[in-house]
Amino acid sequence: MDTDLVVRAQNGDEQAFASLAVAAGDRLHAVAHRILRDTDLAEDATQQALLSMWRDLPQLRDPARFDAWSYRLLVRACYVQGRRARQWSPNLRLLPADESSGGDGLSSVVDRDQLERGFRRLSLDHRAVVVLHHYLDMPLEAVAETLGIPLGTVKSRLLHAMRGLRAALDADARPALQEASR
Amino acid sequence: MSTDRETTRIVRSWLEEGVTALPDRVLDAVLDQVPATPQRRSWWPSRRIAQMNKFLPAALAAAAVLVVAVVGYNLLPQSNTVGPPVPTAVTPSPSPAPLARGTFKANGATVELDATGGASSVTGSMTVTDESGAFTVDLECTRTTNAGLIWIGGDVTESANISYAPKGTRAAIVFKRGTPVQAVFVFQLDDPQSASCQAFFDDMIAIIGGEISEDKLDPIEGTVELGP
Repeated sequence: MDTDLVVRAQNGDEQAFASLAVAAGDRLHAVAHRILRDTDLAEDATQQALLSMWRDLPQLRDPARFDAWSYRLLVRACYVQGRRARQWSPNLRLLPADESSGGDGLSSVVDRDQLERGFRRLSLDHRAVVVLHHYLDMPLEAVAETLGIPLGTVKSRLLHAMRGLRAALDADARPALQEASR
Repeated sequence: MSTDRETTRIVRSWLEEGVTALPDRVLDAVLDQVPATPQRRSWWPSRRIAQMNKFLPAALAAAAVLVVAVVGYNLLPQSNTVGPPVPTAVTPSPSPAPLARGTFKANGATVELDATGGASSVTGSMTVTDESGAFTVDLECTRTTNAGLIWIGGDVTESANISYAPKGTRAAIVFKRGTPVQAVFVFQLDDPQSASCQAFFDDMIAIIGGEISEDKLDPIEGTVELGP
């Protein structure tokens, strides 16, 4: 991220902020979408995070940490949207089916469905850790710093989340194995 | 049964799928709102002046912070306390002395403040409400700087404000006496949390590079009763 742009935006330069928002918008939205698993909620969270970014930029003391700071704002916005979803709409909509095409590493559509279900069973706290670490490739220390939680908590959440996802995948594999053994 | 490595590979691959691009209409909506959305310029005035900790080994950085704290403490004159003079007699005061009390507006937020005590300890709370939500600070410590600025701070213990004052944030309000009284809020947002309330003041003052400049303080609306 261009720190000069960040500093200019901190000083109220709307054009500089527009450039930052354009540059950051896609990556923030991608993360929000993966945490929330809902297009509308992800758009709302991203919009909220971008506006918070503009409003609170003067409080960012180190412009070089803009990216990590922006993820922190985004995850908080995801928590807010997630809470709203639970409050007003208990049944989140599933992703459109055509978004699940491709993907070399997935063995079957069934895997995707199982993962989707397993992931949705995780709390937003757990999902955020999984997405920041496994999607953004953030080291666990950076995840801890971004989320403002101890490293041990990050490790524990990741372990719990991955265990849940593995169980979801294994739950799918079990009938197939039973079928094969007959 | 999946192995851990296999699960990780599948999860990573699955996460790669799906939406990435932010629709233009969302970006447009944000940029349309920007001109009408004021920045919180006065809430936290300072950009970091030095980033030495980032580049030095952790031990050296810790030592540097310690030196700043110790030197800062030793340089503080006796008058660097706020509230009533500490009595030399050992008779305890029957009730805590008022330090700052009032309901007022500062930096666009409504503040309810009730702090008692002095340099050694502070009790009370501060509730701040603005459009981002309310938060409450459990007040713990105070300091009056050489320039006469009164810092009163503590930890955010309750918060509906996710933007800049989530639960656990160290926060302070800084007053400058006068007519009207001026104030600014200080938050420890993106650094590791200081070890204590007084260390929070030390760290913030070190980051600012000394006193908070006049242009960062805003006049309050309403009244606040400041202790002697």
